[in-house]
Amino acid sequence: MKFSYNWLRDLVDQLDTPPSELAQLITIKTAESEGVEAHGDDYVIEIDNKSLTHRPDLWGHYGMAREVAAILGRKLIDPVEPQEFPGSAAVRVSIEDHALCPRYSALVFDNVTVKPSPQWLQQRLEAVDLNPINNLVDVTNYVLAELAQPMHAFDAAKLQGSEIMVRPARAGETIKALNDETYTLNPSNLVIADSAGPVAIAGIIGGADSAISNSTTRIVLESANFNASSVRKTSSRLRLRTDASMRFEKAQDPVNTIRGLERAFALLQEVSPGVRLVGGLADNYRPIPVLPPVVLPLDWLNRKLGRAVPEDEVRRILESLEFRVEEIAPRVFSMFVPTWRATKDVTIKEDLVEEVGRMIGYDSIPPVAPLTPARVPPASPEREFHYSVRQMAAAQGFTEVHNYSFISEDMARVFSVDVSAQVQVSNPIVSDQNLLRTSLLPGIWKNIRDNARHFDRFRLFEIGRAIHPDGEVPRFTAAMFAKDDGASGVFELKRLAECLLPGVSVRPADATQSYEHPRRTGDVLCGETNVGRLFEFHPKMVEGGRAAVLDLDLTRLMQLQPTPERYQPLRRFPESAFDLSVVANPRTLIADIQSALEKLAGDALLSIVFLREFALPDGARSLSYRLTVGAPDRTLSAEEVGLVRTRIIEGMRSAGYELRL
Amino acid sequence: MSPEQIISDLHATSLSALEQATTLDALEAIRVDALGRKGKLAEVSKTFGKLAPEERARVGKLLNTVKQDLETRLDQRKTALDSVAIDVRLESEWVDLTAPVPGIRPGSLHPITHVQRELEELFVSLGFAIMDGPEVETEHYNFDALNIPADHPARDAQDTFWLKDGRLLRTHTSPVQIRALEKFGPPLKMIAPGRVFRNEEVDASHEHTFYQLEGMMVDRDVSVAHLLYFMKTLLSAIFHRDVAVRLRPGFFPFVEPGFELDIQCLICGGKGCPVCKHSGWVELLPCGLVNPAVLRAGGVDPEQWNGFAFGLGLTRLAMMRYGIDDIRLFAGGDLRFLRQF
Ligand SMILES: [Zn+2]
Repeated sequence: MKFSYNWLRDLVDQLDTPPSELAQLITIKTAESEGVEAHGDDYVIEIDNKSLTHRPDLWGHYGMAREVAAILGRKLIDPVEPQEFPGSAAVRVSIEDHALCPRYSALVFDNVTVKPSPQWLQQRLEAVDLNPINNLVDVTNYVLAELAQPMHAFDAAKLQGSEIMVRPARAGETIKALNDETYTLNPSNLVIADSAGPVAIAGIIGGADSAISNSTTRIVLESANFNASSVRKTSSRLRLRTDASMRFEKAQDPVNTIRGLERAFALLQEVSPGVRLVGGLADNYRPIPVLPPVVLPLDWLNRKLGRAVPEDEVRRILESLEFRVEEIAPRVFSMFVPTWRATKDVTIKEDLVEEVGRMIGYDSIPPVAPLTPARVPPASPEREFHYSVRQMAAAQGFTEVHNYSFISEDMARVFSVDVSAQVQVSNPIVSDQNLLRTSLLPGIWKNIRDNARHFDRFRLFEIGRAIHPDGEVPRFTAAMFAKDDGASGVFELKRLAECLLPGVSVRPADATQSYEHPRRTGDVLCGETNVGRLFEFHPKMVEGGRAAVLDLDLTRLMQLQPTPERYQPLRRFPESAFDLSVVANPRTLIADIQSALEKLAGDALLSIVFLREFALPDGARSLSYRLTVGAPDRTLSAEEVGLVRTRIIEGMRSAGYELRL
Repeated sequence: MSPEQIISDLHATSLSALEQATTLDALEAIRVDALGRKGKLAEVSKTFGKLAPEERARVGKLLNTVKQDLETRLDQRKTALDSVAIDVRLESEWVDLTAPVPGIRPGSLHPITHVQRELEELFVSLGFAIMDGPEVETEHYNFDALNIPADHPARDAQDTFWLKDGRLLRTHTSPVQIRALEKFGPPLKMIAPGRVFRNEEVDASHEHTFYQLEGMMVDRDVSVAHLLYFMKTLLSAIFHRDVAVRLRPGFFPFVEPGFELDIQCLICGGKGCPVCKHSGWVELLPCGLVNPAVLRAGGVDPEQWNGFAFGLGLTRLAMMRYGIDDIRLFAGGDLRFLRQF
């Protein structure tokens, strides 16, 4: 929203603060200025529209002038001279639903001459980015820019019938608007209609057929108030934002329609001499609700601000903003909110904290530490655990990535995800990024392929949420890529899994997914609980190297973390160790032989460690283990150790294994 | 020869051999030869029986002196040879310490993780709890409970990803305010960092996915002065120096009054420069006193309790901290970028 400095000077007595300084004051006290630019002999202060969202009154110069007057302690000059419009109206107005149109006021003028506006008026409009069109249209725009009251002038000769109707559009009704576009309407759109059909889209734009032309001599001047949300919905459905709709969207003051007409009449007399008012005021409205006053206890106000503000200063500030202040009890004010702030802006006493606070200046409030008891905040163990996982992964050489939460249906199919079971986005930015990820794999896969262009080998990981229809699951996915044909990736990742959860094991998976290497895929287990998957990508998935992935459920990983409670006393008696080598079939698992050995060793076994494997000429594998045995209360004799060893060897032999001794 | 003569000769011979010995073995041979149980001095002592008592005492004394001298000299020589030997060994054990070392090096954490972690630790030290909320939210928590009803224009400013099941991706971390109030009630000091989503086209300065950190304190009579205190403490800790802050009016439906908090430009110190658009101030975060409607939505009586809330852009802070000028790098997964942190 642009404000003309000269315009503000018309409305604020003795305004002499330089424009850039004024813009700074407005920023600090009212709304954010985005800069000041010279415009002829004028200056234009641009205010960020977002900072005016809640202030319908600031969409016109008069509202901003009121702020400036209050900030500087000057007098506000009202450009509107009260007028009487006696007599019966020359046009009849009917409103079907006052909730959508709380008020519709109109005047009819005759003997108008359409011509260019005088220079001063054109300059004012140009300064605030409104195009001068002709004197009649320019007057409506001038009032819009000054009083925030949108208006519309119809060529009376082109209206059919004697009644202006404010009603919902009929389904399929069309209107050719002033911008030469034709809009097809539906009953959610409010229109102004004559007996032949819509002549304007209410609060947004007028129709081309009833527009002012050079031959216009008689006009109907509309000054109405429309429901903010209805205008907003229609404007967004039609993708049509206008100076009028932007203002109505902010909930304008219904009292203002008459002020708009009064101001317009005065201006018309200046720009179209000889103009004649026909009949009196047409004014259809529902009673404007009077809101109860807002009660403001001054001690409460001081406690909210954290600074004492003298009573008379509070009164001065609020009165300068045209609140009506009454003291209803000692140090308690009752506040009548002016109508232009009552549509939704100021309704509760907290709103008044802002009015007083911004005017005294927030820089006048000293920072104060609150006097509250010291409390240890509740812990967030899950967050701490995730952070420890991050640190461990980084210590193992993995670098953290973030990927988007969106994936495409194509990607979902690659990863065998059931598209129908995923949470879907109705309005994705890119039409194919319409699913929420139920796995971090698609993102990690992309990371692997992207980074393989720059690096021969790398490790990366992500911690993020998999989003399922019934909830969000934190996952950890790590990957390792190397430009060679080795199998080291799965083992490096297995080590990472062991670092993250001591005691974890990997079991080859029976069924594998199409993106997994069928011979290099396993489930990650803690005891019998599945905590994730370890696999190498199927070679068809990754070009120019091998990539392996570790994918873990962080919730389970956290639940299974060991929590040492009582330490085990150190052993006091010596232990004995011996090695055994078992000859096994090529695909016999090291872990299976180990558990067979463990079972046979029994209670005496303290530890068993796999030492090495050795390929035999016939393709079999010789697997060597070191077993350590002992007893808690004595030293085992050589005979006892020998017995354990013999028991194991005989047990293995009877299970069909050959031992190399 | 008299025994004294023999002893003196042996002494001299041994000393000269000792001087010439270059190995520990040679030293040991000399020791055995002279001092051993069957060595030459032992041989000599066997002849003492023939001597007169006073002569025996004199020769015995000489023998002991020579023995002690030889033992001392042997030890000294041994120490010297040991030292030479270790020097030779050490010299032979030279390595090239500039040689590169095999093995894996630590990876790195995401820049957002670094900034987020730092802030979490800071807030915990100020007594704040860290909380989490879902990324998929309901309209109730993301908008309605935060005083942003369906037709509120503020919804336009937060382009929303809607889900087919009627829910949405949270557009801010503010819903955690309501969830925290519901779960813990007042008094409460909490922060909620996390991922948020806006339906925006992506370019160097806009992302549809970014990180925020929500903060809230609810207690009796929380004031603007308290908010200022926390913001100043917090920002001075973040930027590792005393920062000047200012509040100016800002409109956010979930706070009243609402503020934009600016910090004095760290580049020019407030004199004005291109970074601060010559204003001396940089807009940093929105904050305010919690709107009573929000407290009520969280089940808290606004006549008894009130509070402040703020929203910090973690992604934006990381950009400021590391001078990152393209927001797309954060979710780009490019290790050339990520390995720098
Ligand atoms: Zn600067």
